[in-house]
Amino acid sequence: MSLTAYIVTLTFALTVSWSSTRASQSQPVNRDAQILADFTARVKAYVQLVDKADAGAPPLNETKDPAKIAVAQDALAERIRAARAGAKQGDVFTPEIAKKFRSLLRPPLKGKEGAETKEKILEEKPKGVPRQVNAKYPEKEPLTTMPPNVLLSLPKLPEQVEYRFVGKDLILRDARANIIIDYIPNAIT
Amino acid sequence: MTLTRRQDLPRFVAAAFALAAAAGLAAQDLTLPNRKDSVHFAVIGDSGTGNSNQMRVAQRLAAIRPKFRFDFALMLGDNLYGSSAPRDYASKFEKPYKPLLDGGVKFYATLGNHDNTNERFYKPFNMNGERFYTFKPPNASVRFVSLDTNYMEQDQLAWLQKELANSQSDWKIVFFHHPLYSSGGEHGSDLQLRERLEPIFVKYGVDVVFSGHDHFYERIKPQKGILYFVSGGAGKLRKGDALRAPFTAKAFDTGYHFMLVEVTDDTLYFQTISDQGQTVDSGTFLRVKRNNGTATTTKPATGGVKPTTNTVRP
Repeated sequence: MSLTAYIVTLTFALTVSWSSTRASQSQPVNRDAQILADFTARVKAYVQLVDKADAGAPPLNETKDPAKIAVAQDALAERIRAARAGAKQGDVFTPEIAKKFRSLLRPPLKGKEGAETKEKILEEKPKGVPRQVNAKYPEKEPLTTMPPNVLLSLPKLPEQVEYRFVGKDLILRDARANIIIDYIPNAIT
Repeated sequence: MTLTRRQDLPRFVAAAFALAAAAGLAAQDLTLPNRKDSVHFAVIGDSGTGNSNQMRVAQRLAAIRPKFRFDFALMLGDNLYGSSAPRDYASKFEKPYKPLLDGGVKFYATLGNHDNTNERFYKPFNMNGERFYTFKPPNASVRFVSLDTNYMEQDQLAWLQKELANSQSDWKIVFFHHPLYSSGGEHGSDLQLRERLEPIFVKYGVDVVFSGHDHFYERIKPQKGILYFVSGGAGKLRKGDALRAPFTAKAFDTGYHFMLVEVTDDTLYFQTISDQGQTVDSGTFLRVKRNNGTATTTKPATGGVKPTTNTVRP
C-alpha cells in the first residue's frame, strides 16, 4: 500500500470510529427526552380527561358559601374517578418514568443543602395518606411544602396538578379535586 | 339587660365579664400614631383552630378596633386547621371574627401547609381564586403581595418579579406562610425559600415581610434593608420555641398575639399585643427611599408620636 493510500485509509477509519462513539453518546440524552416527553403527554392526557369530566360538574368559582367549594371539589373528584375507574399506580409514573424521576431528585438532595432540603421534605409527617390512585388526600393532614430547588429539578406541570411528598413517596395530586393521580414509592432515599 | 329567670344568671355573668374585658382591652395604650390618612391593618397568623385561644385573640382584636380603626387584616396561613368543611369555615373564621367581618374588615389570606388550596375560592379570604395575588388599598402608596410558599414554582417567581418591578408604590409589603428568617426550633428559617426570594425582594425594594408557620412572635433585625416579622400565634402557640438567634431583635413565645400596623409616609409603626392585652413589642421602621437605584434613609419621625420601644433602622 502506498503511503498516500495508507494515510487515507487511516483517516477514514479514525473518522468512522469517532462518529460511532458520538452516536452512542447521544442516545442516552435522546432517551431521557423521550421519557420526559412521555410523562408530559400522560399528564396532558389526564388534564384533558379532567376537562371533559369537569364539563358537567358545578364550577369551582369564588363564593361566600364554603359548602359550594366542598360540593364542587367532591363532585369533580367523583367524576374523575368515574372517568378513570381502571387507573392504577404506574399509569402516569411508568416504571421508566419513575426511575427517571428518582434520578432527577438526587441532585437537589445532595450535600449540605440537600440534607437541609430533605429535612424540610420530611418535616411534615402526614399520616394516613392512602397510597392509592384516585383516593382523596385527607383534609386533616398537612400538605408537605415543596422546596423550590426540588420543583426546579422536575418537569413543569399544568396549573391544577402538583407534586407533593408523603414521607419519601412522591405523589401527583389534583389540587382542585384533591385526589391522588399517581405516586412513586420511595422516590427519595 | 333584664334578669328575669335564674337560668339567665350564668349568661348574664358571662356577658358582664365580656363587657368588662372589652372595656379593659380598649383602654390599653396604643403606641401607634393613629393618623387618619395612614394605612391601618392587623396581622394574624396560624389562627384557624376554632378554640378558646383563637377566640381570646379575636376578642382582643375586635375590642381595640374602635380605638385603632384598621380596614383590613392579613392572614398568614393555616387559616383553617384540621379540615375545610363548611363547619370549619364557620367555627375557625366566621365566628371568631364576626364582629370584625360585620364591621367591614377585609381579610386577605395566604395559604399555609394546613390549608386546602381551594380556600382561595372562599370570597371572604379575598384571594380572587388565586394561590398568589396582590392588592393595594385605595389612595395609598402601599403594595401588598401574597405568595404561596407551599409551592414556590418558577411561574410564581416570575410573576412576583414582574409585579414588584411594575409597582410604583412607596411601600412594598409581602406576606406568606413560611418564614425566611425564624429562630423557631420546630421549623425555623426556610433557607431554600430565602435563597430564591430574598434576592428578588432586595432587587425590587421590598420593605417588610410578614410570615407565620412558627407559633410565636419574632421581630428580626433588618436583613439587607428588609424588616421581617414572624407572627404565627393568633390561634396556635409553641411555648419556648423561639430560640433567639443572632438575627432576633425581639421574641415572644409565652402567649398568643396579634399585630397592629400603621403605614404613613416613610414610616411603618407596629404594635404587637398579647392575648392578655400586653404590648410585647412596638416600634417604627423607616423606609429606605430608593432614588435612581441609590438607597437613602429619611430622618427619624418626630413630634406627635408617642415614645415607642424601638426605632428600627434598615
